[in-house]
Amino acid sequence: MAARFEMNEVGWRSWGSWRRLTRQLRRSWRSSLQFRTVAITVVASGAAIGLVGVYMSVSVGNDLFQSRLTQVQVDSNRATTAAQAILDSSDAADRVQVQTLLESARTSISAASSSRLVAVFRVPGQESSTVAPQDSSTFGTSTEVISPELRNAVQDDADGQYWQSVTLASDDGSTIPGIVVGSQIAVPVAGKYELYIGYSLADAESTLLFVQRTLGGAGLALIVLIGAVTWIVVRFVVSPIQVAAETSQKLASGDLGVRIPEKGEDVIATLARSFNGMADSLQSQIKELADLSEVQQRFVSDVSHELRTPLTTIRLAGDLLYDQRATFPPATERTAELLHTQVERFELLLADLLEISRYDAGSVELESEPTNLVHLAEDVIDGMRSLGDSKGSDIRMVAPGGHLAAEVDPRRVRRIVNNLIGNAIEHGEGKPIVVSVDSNESAVALSVRDYGMGMTQAEITHVFDRFWRADPSRKRTIGGTGLGLAISLEDAAAHRGWLQVWSSPGAGSCFRLTLPRATGVTLTVSPNPLPPADAESPGYVSPHAEPRRDHHA
Amino acid sequence: MNSRILVVDDDPALAEMIGIVLQGEGFEPHFCADGSQALDAFHSVVPDLVLLDLMLPGMDGIEVCSLIRAESGTPIIMLTAKSDTTDVVKGLESGADDYMVKPFNPKELVARIRTRLRPVPVESPASLQIGDLVVDAAGHEVKRGDQSINLTPLEFDLLLALASKPSQVFTREMLLEQVWGYHYKADTRLVNVHVQRLRAKVEDDPDNPRIVMTVRGVGYRAGAAG
Repeated sequence: MAARFEMNEVGWRSWGSWRRLTRQLRRSWRSSLQFRTVAITVVASGAAIGLVGVYMSVSVGNDLFQSRLTQVQVDSNRATTAAQAILDSSDAADRVQVQTLLESARTSISAASSSRLVAVFRVPGQESSTVAPQDSSTFGTSTEVISPELRNAVQDDADGQYWQSVTLASDDGSTIPGIVVGSQIAVPVAGKYELYIGYSLADAESTLLFVQRTLGGAGLALIVLIGAVTWIVVRFVVSPIQVAAETSQKLASGDLGVRIPEKGEDVIATLARSFNGMADSLQSQIKELADLSEVQQRFVSDVSHELRTPLTTIRLAGDLLYDQRATFPPATERTAELLHTQVERFELLLADLLEISRYDAGSVELESEPTNLVHLAEDVIDGMRSLGDSKGSDIRMVAPGGHLAAEVDPRRVRRIVNNLIGNAIEHGEGKPIVVSVDSNESAVALSVRDYGMGMTQAEITHVFDRFWRADPSRKRTIGGTGLGLAISLEDAAAHRGWLQVWSSPGAGSCFRLTLPRATGVTLTVSPNPLPPADAESPGYVSPHAEPRRDHHA
Repeated sequence: MNSRILVVDDDPALAEMIGIVLQGEGFEPHFCADGSQALDAFHSVVPDLVLLDLMLPGMDGIEVCSLIRAESGTPIIMLTAKSDTTDVVKGLESGADDYMVKPFNPKELVARIRTRLRPVPVESPASLQIGDLVVDAAGHEVKRGDQSINLTPLEFDLLLALASKPSQVFTREMLLEQVWGYHYKADTRLVNVHVQRLRAKVEDDPDNPRIVMTVRGVGYRAGAAG
């Protein structure tokens, strides 16, 4: 049982290695043009060489046999004639004399035909004679190779010469091909005898074997040579193509500086030249675009910075006037108030614009630290409560999870939560607002649910756009900049988190922020449901939104 | 006597406006519009506090800051149009006590100036022990043995705050409120940078502090007396 098992084991192993080999071959076949070309060439030329070799071997074999056969026939004819002459000239009369005569005839045949194999059989059907010598054969064990058909043919025709291909046993027990030629001789007194002379074809066969061996060797060498030549030639052609393929791959993956070396004037060089030309123009265009985008981003950033100094002066002046507004006549007092509030709004706008330009320039770095999202949300809610109360919205907090710290940038998360709750108050129509925080092993989520007017599907697709406003006629009471959700989306994306929204017209909205608890974790599922658990109508859910900006690495 | 304040800013309108605000609050403003002349102005005015713009013609505000700091502990408040991390940290590391991002409002400006001019009084005995240092609260002096250690007023306040309650761990927010006078969430980098500067002066080995100890994830506390 154990042995059997082991056998199976070995069997499996060799099967496995066989499968591995075929798999590897198949892979090479698919992936390597060079391997494929060489393989096809070697197989095709191998088949051709094989066919030619077989044809040559067969025709050489035939020719050798024919010439040998002719020689054998002539030879045996001569030997028979000589023997017959001996027999005819004899006057032997008694048994011993006839016997001796036949012996000498046989000896002469042996000498004339240079064959040791001679058989003499008395043709059957003659009246028996006491003088007639016994049948004799030096074929030994090979006597039976003389077939009945041959014997019949010889018996029936006194003058004919017949031959047959046979297999002779050699002295060392191996078999060699041979020919047996048969004819009749007439022995005085004793009557007609069949005479068979065996000729070995060993010489011819060894010649044929030599020729075949030479052909085989030459063919094999030729195939190897063809394979090698093909390999070298294909290499010459394929390696530039390989270089081109690798280079274009590098180019496609963003390495714009790579080029193919240009050598000579052939088609490969033309390919290299045109490829390099293409890469040059691609590189210059991308660089142009990148420069343009960089210039634009720097411009926005510079403008924002440059605006700050005069804005500071305006702010100081406006505040000074605002502080003294009680001493002004009513119209001037109102002017000072407007100046004060609008400068503040301008300031917020500028700060948001600067933040967005920072994101656009890709110069944002998170300052992550362990942060308790529940505490953070409570903090923000405390800060927003008076605003909520002024609109009649009660802000509630539900936190089944999220009490353990998550690795996030608290400043940005605070900004997101602030923004979401601000929006909820703005659009909540004085109804309650529920902030829920929950967590699972890899993520924390914070949802802000309002029961206000909600949004249509078309509105949802634009809600994260910059400066987008749900309804231009709607009165703004909190005075956001129009960049809040765009920045929040950027903030969430900087954490590799999600910011999504569900909304149903008339039933309110739910914004859900999902953040990984640790940096470098990829989100798969959010701890909070979206649509929210209390959603009565299906509503619409925003697709997984990415920040909209012209991205350049 | 009114406190003298040196305003180093190249924007004439802003400088004038700041001057108006400061005069209105009873300060005595002096002006300098060029970075390369700022140090001379500092010598001739001998101000109680410097308002220093970061972007200046002639010489960079950060450079001016380190030059002033090299010879005096006079409080410096940076005015910056950039709130980018690197600029702020560079300014603080060169010795500025506090910074204000443009645009700021006059109340905020005045409040910060007042905090720096009249440090929050710490109710404490005349002499305190922190690590192997003796802090003389009344004389504004810190000594290791007989050797006096030269601290800026801000660094002294920071050390005093820690020394006055040796058993307490101070969060960065608490220190911001007590030393810088912020009553809302502010930039905790202020604390980090100044703790580093303080350690560089008072610690034997700043990498292995024994006076101002870090409490991981919370904040700082005073090293054990002895």
